[in-house]
Amino acid sequence: MKKRTLARGLAGIWWVTLVFLYAPLLVIVLFSFNSANSTAVFENFSLAWYRRLFGNEQIISAFGNSLVLAVSSSVVALVVGCLIGYGMYRHRHRKLGWLIVLIYLPIVLPDIVFGISEMAFFVQIHEWTGLLQPGLGTMIIAHVTFQIPFVALIVYSRFVGLDPTLFEAAKDLYASPVKRVVHFMVPTIKPALISAFFLSFTLSIDDFVISFFTAGPESATLPIYIWSAIKKGVTPEINAIATLMIGAVAMAAILSMLFNRQGRR
Amino acid sequence: MSETTTAEIADKPGVHPAADEQDRANRKASSIEMQGLHKRFGRDTVALDGVDLDIRAGEFFTLLGPSGCGKTTLLRILAGLEEPDDGSLVVGGKNVTEVPPHRRSVNTVFQSYALFPHLSVRENLAFGLKMRGMPAAERHVKVDEIADFIKLGDLVDRHVDQLSGGQRQRIALARALICEPDVLLLDEPLSALDAGLRSQLQVELLRVQRRLGMTFVFVTHDQQEAMVMSDRIAVLNGGTIQQVGAPREVYERPVNAFVARFMGHDNLYPISTRQGGRLTTALGTLTAEDPGDGELLLIRPETLDLLPGKVEGDNHLTAKVAERLYRGSHAEFRLEIGDTTLQATVNNRGRHLPEIGETVTVAVAPEDLVTLHE
Repeated sequence: MKKRTLARGLAGIWWVTLVFLYAPLLVIVLFSFNSANSTAVFENFSLAWYRRLFGNEQIISAFGNSLVLAVSSSVVALVVGCLIGYGMYRHRHRKLGWLIVLIYLPIVLPDIVFGISEMAFFVQIHEWTGLLQPGLGTMIIAHVTFQIPFVALIVYSRFVGLDPTLFEAAKDLYASPVKRVVHFMVPTIKPALISAFFLSFTLSIDDFVISFFTAGPESATLPIYIWSAIKKGVTPEINAIATLMIGAVAMAAILSMLFNRQGRR
Repeated sequence: MSETTTAEIADKPGVHPAADEQDRANRKASSIEMQGLHKRFGRDTVALDGVDLDIRAGEFFTLLGPSGCGKTTLLRILAGLEEPDDGSLVVGGKNVTEVPPHRRSVNTVFQSYALFPHLSVRENLAFGLKMRGMPAAERHVKVDEIADFIKLGDLVDRHVDQLSGGQRQRIALARALICEPDVLLLDEPLSALDAGLRSQLQVELLRVQRRLGMTFVFVTHDQQEAMVMSDRIAVLNGGTIQQVGAPREVYERPVNAFVARFMGHDNLYPISTRQGGRLTTALGTLTAEDPGDGELLLIRPETLDLLPGKVEGDNHLTAKVAERLYRGSHAEFRLEIGDTTLQATVNNRGRHLPEIGETVTVAVAPEDLVTLHE
């Protein structure tokens, strides 16, 4: 009897947690379809705000920036992170403790500290060399740096999960170093690579703080646009953008999970 | 006259019923010569300490020894997965000491099978051929051929994770054989299987080797398996070769105490005095016909006869039964002669088997006694 009460209590905590996690999102999604310009009263179902959204050039350009930033930083992070992950695997028997800590440090560093330091760094380089003018370029570099640890970790853990003799079997079966990469390593860790790509993509789309500090005047992303628009008050238009972002991120996260699971099957 | 003709015909490959296979055998078999192979890991671990070994073309050759004896390192050097610090390796007349594994015509059946999880069974089998640049259509034919040869049946169309241990083992064998290497290396390929399947696959493996006539180098720590399978065995310990010989030679005439113990012999007795063929040990004095000049006497348990009671005679010892293990087809005895113990194995022919505590006479033939060095 007591046990059942406890179980029910724990289940209750679970449901309360879910409510606090998802109810706010549901509210935003719901009010993005509100015909009235209000976040308190729902009148009729309408796609008006979405129509306005797609007519707004600033939003379209912010959306484009977000997409370009997310895709290009994810691609670069995937390649570099993959090499680092493989390197960590290859040399796992050596004592690399502090080197690996260096790679993971950005994960635990507060975004705001990281963002401010990146900004200061880029400004310095720009003063000295004239390169790295704040804009999409600096944002991509900043995003790549925080995406890499995640990619490296995913790739590394996939390699660690493999039978190490597979690498030798590939050599034994006449695969040259290049063919080993093409016909053995990449196909074997493909699900992990796809998963890492989608994770990087979501991290980039989500990011506000680091983007904010490294952006230039022309390179506002969606989160930056929302932040500046919100200073004039939350409009249903913002709700519509938020809804689209929730959809996009949820999709990327689900894909990332599915591919990762497929890899571990 | 007619007798010589038959003998000649049998020797000619062209007239032999399995001519095609013989031909294949002649084409494939390569000899291996190893000279002064040294390998060290880190500063202190010596894996190979000067190995000289010749393996004949078409031979089923086994590297036998306890773990850490260097047998796996030697196999990995043959595969090219490890480079020797010193020494040379010649396969089929070509020095391959520094040739990387993907350019050696040598394939390995790994202990863990190492089947690629991202590929189907068919793709696994074709992997080596694909890497060598064989077109897809030819690969398909080859895979069907090998599947037929190893009797894989419908396994070819399954996924790797739907296979049992024994099936994986056979796929791994087929994947290595399909490339028709000069030498096939097998790294304890049967050790993960249960006893029944293991002996079945031993027979199968042996049959495959005989039919192909390919040079097989087999690594195991199981002396029974080594004796069943091999044309010749090399016993290794501490990175050096202790003895090379046919299974009977190694088992019946081990050159030293290590080989004797590893082959399962416990009846080793230091010789205190010898006069010609009369050898005195803690057991008493026994006459040996051709014992050699070693300082240890080896008595194989299965060469002993147990007679009930006390029977006088040459090479007879009086003993007391301390332990009896009944194994159905035979029984194993631990006998005590004074303070010394002696193991004896007696075939169960339905006759009286001595009981524990019984006094028996142990009889041994002079030609069965051999001596060896420490």
